[in-house]
Amino acid sequence: MNPETIVEKISSDIKDKVQEVSLAAPRRVQVKVAREHLNVVLAYLKKQFGYVHLGTISGVDLGDHFEVIYHMSDAVATVNVRILTPRSDPRIPSVCAVIPGAILYERELQDMFGLVVENIPDPRPLLLADDWPAGEYPLRKDWVFDRPAEVIPGGK
Amino acid sequence: MEFKVALGPQHPALHEPISIRMTLDGEVIRDADLKLGYNHRGIEKLAESRSYIQNLYLTERICGICSFSHQTCYTQGVEKLMELVPAKRGLYIRTLVCELERVHSHLLWLGVAGQEAGFESFFMYTWRDREVVMDILDWISGNRVHYSMNTFGGVRRDIDELQKKKILDSLGLLRQRTDYYLNLAASEPTFVGRLAGVGKLSREKAIALCAVGPTLRASGVPMDVRKDDPYAVYDEIPFEVSTADSCDVLGRAVVRVKELIQSYNIIEFLLKNLPAGPVKVKAPRKVKENEVYSRYEAPRGENVHYIKSNGSDKPERLKVRAPTLANYPATIEMLKSGFIADIPLIFAAIDPCICCAERLVQLDNARSGESNILTFSQLRAMANERDKKINFKKKEIAWPF
Repeated sequence: MNPETIVEKISSDIKDKVQEVSLAAPRRVQVKVAREHLNVVLAYLKKQFGYVHLGTISGVDLGDHFEVIYHMSDAVATVNVRILTPRSDPRIPSVCAVIPGAILYERELQDMFGLVVENIPDPRPLLLADDWPAGEYPLRKDWVFDRPAEVIPGGK
Repeated sequence: MEFKVALGPQHPALHEPISIRMTLDGEVIRDADLKLGYNHRGIEKLAESRSYIQNLYLTERICGICSFSHQTCYTQGVEKLMELVPAKRGLYIRTLVCELERVHSHLLWLGVAGQEAGFESFFMYTWRDREVVMDILDWISGNRVHYSMNTFGGVRRDIDELQKKKILDSLGLLRQRTDYYLNLAASEPTFVGRLAGVGKLSREKAIALCAVGPTLRASGVPMDVRKDDPYAVYDEIPFEVSTADSCDVLGRAVVRVKELIQSYNIIEFLLKNLPAGPVKVKAPRKVKENEVYSRYEAPRGENVHYIKSNGSDKPERLKVRAPTLANYPATIEMLKSGFIADIPLIFAAIDPCICCAERLVQLDNARSGESNILTFSQLRAMANERDKKINFKKKEIAWPF
């Protein structure tokens, strides 16, 4: 098994489910899928190649879209499965049924980007403070932090 | 009868703030829930407004123990974005510092494990020996905690013959002491009795919950980024991945002691095969539009940085996933059906670094600013105001004395 065979197998076995598949860098396979096929592709990777270790889920704000990347690693290569979700309808499917260890990363995405993870087993906020205002998502590009002027208690 | 008990965020048994809510049935933990977010600094957001060079020193400050892990993970990611081939000698020195950091981190952990198990002299011994490594790091980098050795294209400082000799001399002492600890940990009945069978994590659960590092390797899974996805010069170094099959805290201790011995071998190999030449090459300031997924085997497990560049001198996105965050779902599994008294031990066994795991958002109420800060006189005025509103029926209260 080597990264080239993974690319070949993916592009022959499930070519109707994936939009793009390539070997972007040594040991890094890039796969682009539609969000409704995400779970099918991850289940295929798990069954066919034994991909069970999810490194993390990275969210990127691209303006009118959010890009969500699932980094699956094993001893051969890392497969980066990416989906796009429009800003007006930021829904993504939960992958916890296939990869139970994804739960904290999905909760982090909900907090930081305001994505709606459908069928998530535990939708509570993870990292933000209890009194964090609703509708503010810090890692979105349009969220800017203006540091309040420092006030020294008891100072002039 | 079930009870709910909260431990933390501030608690003497925990070294950093994290909140654990437990459902107890007598002494036995039935369920546990972690609440994170007490140690947020907003580093990912901050990184988007800093240049690549500035982020070098920002990523180093994600953690105080595995500072070099985060910096190296970031550096080698950016080097790939820059399509830069670092200097060979620089890579050797970088790997050397990586392994020295692993030695100091594992010695620190052994001491903490000894302390949590009630073996205080073990704690004193390992921390005394840790000073040997700290002195070496101080001597070759100039710093004890944030080494600042990395730069794009290599490292910032070279090492000379005298330093090489001193490191090799110190290794002899460390090897001798580590052999003693391995012997002690394996044959001291009270220590073994305290650690064995505590914090069980089956192989299947460890894989399913995406655990990393010594936690995963102690459940019998030989996953090590240094072997699976070799970075720096690990593909040239002979070493073995340490594993254990006992799936408990004792296994995690054994894995770490075995890794210490492997690290000594790696350090010796690096120093004996150190190539001549420059320690760094010149790096460009701007980076082409691209993305990279960088992996690194930190002392606590797989550390991950995802960096996306946009053609300017600042990254579009820097995503950090520290090993402790990946080990939290597995920790909840370990806590279940354990005893209350085992919590500090189980928690210490993943070698938690909470400041690593939480690095995302801004401070509480940072937006509302000064309204949070009250002077003493304001507080007094508020208290007086409140007192006036309360209707004290003074005559009805009879003072007993």
